[in-house]
This record gives sequence, C-alpha cells and structure tokens, in this order.
Amino acid sequence: MIRLPSGTYAQDYGQDAALVRTKANWAFLAIVIVFVFTIPQWASNSFLALSTVIGITIISAHGLNILTGNCGLVSLGHSGFMMVGGYALAILCAKGGLPFWLALPISGLMAGVVGIIFGLPSLRIKGFYLIMATVAAYFIIHWLVLQFRSLTGGTEGLRVPSPDLFGLSLKDRAHYFYFVMVLVVIATIVAKNILRTRAGRAFVAIRDNDLAAEVMGVNLFSYKLQAFFIGNVFAGIAGGLSVQYYLYANVEQFPFFDSVWLLGMLIVGGMGSVSGAIYGAIAIKLLQQLATKIGPPLADLVNPQAAVGLGLILPSLAIILFLIFAPRGISHIWERLRNYYQAWPF
Amino acid sequence: MKRYWILSLLAIVLVTLPLMTACGEDEVETTTTAAAVTTTAGGATETTGDATETTAPAETTTTVGEPVTLYVGGTFALTGAYAEDCAAVLAGFQDYVQYVNDNKVIAPWHTDWTIPANITFELLWADDALDPAKTLTIYEDQKSKGMMVSRVSGSPEGMALKDLLVEDNIGATSQSTSPAYLQPVGNIFTNAPIYTDEMASVAEWFLESWTETRAPRVAYLTADSPLGRNIDIPQMQEYLVSLGYEFVGAQFVPMVPTAPPTTQLAWLKDNKVDLTLGVMVNPGSQPTVKEAVRLGMGVGQEYEITFALGNPAHLQIFLPDMGATGNGVVVAGDFCAQDADVPGIKFADMLQDTYRPNKKNTNIMYLDGVIEGMTQILALRLAAMEVDPAKLTAEDVLKKGYWQIKDLDTGGISVSKYTYGEGNVQGVDSCRIQQVENAQIVEKGAYPLRNILPSEQ
Repeated sequence: MIRLPSGTYAQDYGQDAALVRTKANWAFLAIVIVFVFTIPQWASNSFLALSTVIGITIISAHGLNILTGNCGLVSLGHSGFMMVGGYALAILCAKGGLPFWLALPISGLMAGVVGIIFGLPSLRIKGFYLIMATVAAYFIIHWLVLQFRSLTGGTEGLRVPSPDLFGLSLKDRAHYFYFVMVLVVIATIVAKNILRTRAGRAFVAIRDNDLAAEVMGVNLFSYKLQAFFIGNVFAGIAGGLSVQYYLYANVEQFPFFDSVWLLGMLIVGGMGSVSGAIYGAIAIKLLQQLATKIGPPLADLVNPQAAVGLGLILPSLAIILFLIFAPRGISHIWERLRNYYQAWPF
Repeated sequence: MKRYWILSLLAIVLVTLPLMTACGEDEVETTTTAAAVTTTAGGATETTGDATETTAPAETTTTVGEPVTLYVGGTFALTGAYAEDCAAVLAGFQDYVQYVNDNKVIAPWHTDWTIPANITFELLWADDALDPAKTLTIYEDQKSKGMMVSRVSGSPEGMALKDLLVEDNIGATSQSTSPAYLQPVGNIFTNAPIYTDEMASVAEWFLESWTETRAPRVAYLTADSPLGRNIDIPQMQEYLVSLGYEFVGAQFVPMVPTAPPTTQLAWLKDNKVDLTLGVMVNPGSQPTVKEAVRLGMGVGQEYEITFALGNPAHLQIFLPDMGATGNGVVVAGDFCAQDADVPGIKFADMLQDTYRPNKKNTNIMYLDGVIEGMTQILALRLAAMEVDPAKLTAEDVLKKGYWQIKDLDTGGISVSKYTYGEGNVQGVDSCRIQQVENAQIVEKGAYPLRNILPSEQ
C-alpha cells in the first residue's frame, strides 16, 4: 500500500495501481534518475565501476528479497545461483556463439530452473534446515562447475567475448553502466509488481504463516517453487551481468561469502522491502568501499595491520548495529521519517 | 508539497554525500605537459629521452630537474586467505620504496642503475579483499591518480584486470602465477614459475633419485580450490606420463582443513603412491603433513612417500612450525631461504633494520614485495630514461620499461635473473627445488621451465 498525503485520493483504478502517485514522488524519481544516469558524465572511472557493481548487486538483492524477504525462504546459496547465471552466459556466448542480448535472459532462466531443483526440498524443510540445504546447493554448484572442465574451463574459467547490443559496444564502461541501470529499473519495477500479484500475496502469506496460508488454499509447493524460480532468475541475470562486466567467468568471482553479504544487505536495507534491497546494496557496497579508502591512512596512523580485514569489519558491524537498533532496516527508518514529517507539527 | 521537496533534497544530499566520499578523484591525465629535460642527478648519467632535441615550449614552465612523483603499488588482498602474505608484500613494498627514495638506486648490487634525483616514488595501495569488483574500482581509482603500473594479488583479480590492463597499456606485477596469465599473454608480469611448471620440476627432480625398476606412482594431493586445482589439467598429466610416471589420481584437501585429511592420505597409501604433487597454502600443508607423519607416511617413514608442493607453500613459514616433522617435504618455485647467504637477503634484512627496526616482518612474502617494487620501479626508471618523466605514459612504461627489463638481479632471492619482453611475462627461466632435511631448507637445484599450459579456449 502506498501512503498518500492527506487530501490525495485515488479516483480511478489506474491511479490506485500506480507506483508513483504524487508530483513529489515524480520529482524525487526524476532527480534520482537524472543523478544516476549522469554519473558517467561527471564521475571518475572508479566511481563508475563501483556504481556498475552496485547496480548488479541491486538486481541480485531484489531476487533474494523476493525469496527471503517476501516468501520467508532464507537462502545462503544465492551466490551459487549467480554462478549458474554467470557460467550459463559465458558458455552461451563463448562456446555457443549466442548474442549477449539473447544469452542474458537465458542465463537468468537457467538459474531459475536450477533454483527450482534446489528449491524442491523446501516443501519438507524450512528455517535452519532450508538454510543448510541452500548452503549445500552453493557447494554442489561450485563443485559441478569445477568438474565439467570442458564446458566451464574448470579452475581457469572462461573468457567471454566483448558484448554488443544491437551494434552498440558494451565494452565501453559508460555504455555498460547505462545498460545495467536500465536493467536495475526494470528489475525494480518487476520486483515491486510481483508483490501485487496473486503470487506475491501468496509469498507474503507463506512467510507470515505457512500453515495458515495452506489452510486458506495457498498451494505451498507451487508458490515456494515459484519464489525460488523468480528469485534465482534475478540472481542469474546479475551473475550474467557480472561475468560480462569482467569478460571472464571464474568460480572465485562468486564466493560463498557473497550470499552472506546479500542477506546482510537485506537486513540493513529492510527485509521484504523493494526499496530496502536497493538501500541495503548501496549501503553495504559503500561501506566496503569506505573500508578500502580509509585502510591506507588508518594503517599509516595506527599500524600496517590495522587495515587488515577492515572490509569485513565495517559492513559486519553495520549489520549487527542494524539488527539491534533498527531491525527493519533503512527503508523503515526512511518511512518513519517521512511519516513524521508528513504529520509535522503534530 | 514543500515538505516533500525538502525531504527529496535531503535524501539526495544524504545519498550523494557518501557517494562522493566513496568517489575517487576526477580523472587526471597521466600524460602531463611538463617539459622534457636532461637529468644528471644523483650520480645518474642517463639522459631522459627527447630531452636534447626538445626546446621546451613557452607554456611549459617546468625547469630542469623539476620534481616528479611516480606512483607504484596496486591492490593487496589484506582480507581473506592471503591476508598475512599480502601484509608482508605490502611491508616489503613500503620499505623498498622508501629505500629507493633515500638512496636513488635500484639495489645495492645495481649501483649503476640510478634514479634521477628529481624523481620520487610514492606507494599507492588498497585492500582488494580478493574481490574482483573491488579490484576493479581500486585499479580505476589508482589509474585516475596517475599510476602507470599496477599489481595483482590473486588469479581471479588478475583475470578481471587482464583485458583492462591490455586495453590501458598498463603493466602489472603479480604475486600469483596462474597459467592463465600466459595464455593469451597479457600485461601481468610474474616473478615465479607457473604452478604446472613447478610440478614438472618436482617430477624431474624426483626421477633423478628414483632407483627402482618399476615406474614411480604419482598422484595429486592438492588444495580443493582453484589455486590447488590449477595443476589438474590433462597437459600436466600427459607430461608426467611422458616422463615415465604412472599417474594414479587426485585427492583434494580443503584450503584450510578443519579435520585431518586422513581419508585422502589413506587413499594414497592404498594406491601405493610414491610422490604427491600439489599447490597449497601453509594452513593446508601443515596439518596435512602432520597427519601423514602420524600415519607413518613421508620420507624416512614406515611408508616412503614424498610430498611435493608448489609456491606459495613456503618452507620458510612451514619449517619453523613443523621442524623435523616436515623432513622430506619439497617445495618448488619459491624464493631462497630467509637465512641464505645471498646479497638479496642481506638487503632485505637491512631494509627491515632501517625502516621497521621494532616490527620486523618475518613472512617470506616480504621478499616478494621487495621484488615487485624493484620490478615496477625499474620499469618506470627505464621508461624515464627514454621519455621525460613528467611526460611518461602508461604505454611508455609498458613498452620502454617492463618490456626492456633484462637480467634484473634480485641478489639471489629468486632462482634466476628476471628478463621480460613483449610476449614474455614470465620473468624467471628456471624453477628452484627446496627440501626439508634435518629441519633445514636444502637447495636441490634448478630445473628448466616446461611451459605446461592448459589448452587455449
């Protein structure tokens, strides 16, 4: 439900269903879009690279948010499904000769299908046991990638040809950034709308109380698998984008720890909230970048070892602090701030 | 409505501020328009390229010997499995750069390779946390500051940078020695043999002392990671068979085992393996060898078997912890022992005594930092002899620097002198074999590189 300022009413179904309702919403959106899409014009290459990586992470976080935040199926195998998408794209482009624009959606679908396979136990197990099953999924995928050397290149990985999109070279970092950002917008709209579908409502019902949902007629098996499929399609596309960005696929690009960070992003941003996935991805990535930035001066100031592990400590600390002081994440803080401001001075 | 506007602006400011904080400096041109000059400072007799024929344009106000700062360094994986190693590499880099700035020579044994007095080197570094994404942002950040060299801390980071380095004509030194750097050849310059060649050297060495009439049985006992699995390629197996080995199979041990690898070791015993080959880091090799000795396996043990590992399983770290328990263990492709009587070790000791007297870094990878620093600074020096230092471009440093490095002597730290060139990114020409004997590191010789590479994709 979208909260509206007093005096603003929906007068028809179209208005009621609109994602952006008020002029202020439109203005805010326009500013964000202008800010984001002008980044290549004013930002350094370093910032452009960071923004591209953040964009890819947002897409992946949206997928995990649908699976974990909305459907309550906590997954620690998300990085593995990104690996499936990444390798699918690499194989399709490098070995199959498929164009990038075709390989990318296929890689997403493949990750989704693999997600369904590993999602099958979710009917019988949940909570901690499901988490362990998804951890196992990651390591099985990792192992399979290393075993099928002729297909995946094994430990050496696979080199991916430079992408073209209808004649436009995506090797150009700015072009690739724009492409990723367009996909981020599409992914955000899709993620937002999924929650307003029958399936989205079923996801939330399952998350809140699966027994009650089943009694109410929600087909748990079907909807849990749908959640796995949809969430992992996002992961697969993010993995494909990541591989295409580096023009190289390797298992070490998708470490297990990335799954943990993605969960951390949802905690910091706000589990179950579409905007939370965005805030969380930005916050954690910026904190990691901040650690990189302050590492050298800190080492000079204190001692050389002071910078060791800083990239893990800062985001971890943020996750702990959010869990204690703001368990509903940045999106909830923002919502409270907005509500307070709307009601001000009352 | 006004409140929404204010809130929107506030949000933008909140979002923008941290972004700007995280943002690197604006792009700066790596080629400046400072004048080319003849430099004969610090005892150097070289003349910077183009200098004699250049009459500096009026608008370029740089005078002879104007100070120039050149950046060296790159990314270091200070978070993750290689944190200790990389911290040592960084320490080596820091001390070496300080030494060059103080003394204006490449090394005590290369006193003729001087650095012009107006050139100062500055180390740029950041923690890449073994993350390709971070590596990329750091690389761009450092490039934007004008850095014309770089470094690679691990294979995935190297592969993420490989094409970009070629595109930007930037040469990078590396502590990792993935065969993938050599095929196709990029701009990543290694200072140790690739892992497969290290294994080939061990196999050749082992055969020299093989006296039995049957074929020796070899198996991989290697880390269960891309690092360890680098050697598990058909070309490696074919080479072993061509030498006369019977290849038995492969066993994998976690990078950092949480339980003794008894099953894997028992498998080796059951299959009567004589020699194992593998690439591990010390947290993996030490518990493995300890368990092997407990099971009565090893050189001089009830079950005679030789455990051979490739660099980065440094005996210099392994030995102090293991002592005589490590007897018979072989490592290929590493630097010399830290107590070796060679100029390089004396130099490294002097650096530590001078620049970190109370916080000596005992990790062998300190030497890697010295060597990588030496390589980068030599590349910059060679390029600066051809082109005005203030006008240097990354391409100059690559083509007139890295590619021109010939016979760089590391004072005996590495097995051979380093020679690089176009298409030649592997500096050494042979592989050193070391073995633990009576709790001492003993040099067993050097073997030629065999260039065992995976098939090109």
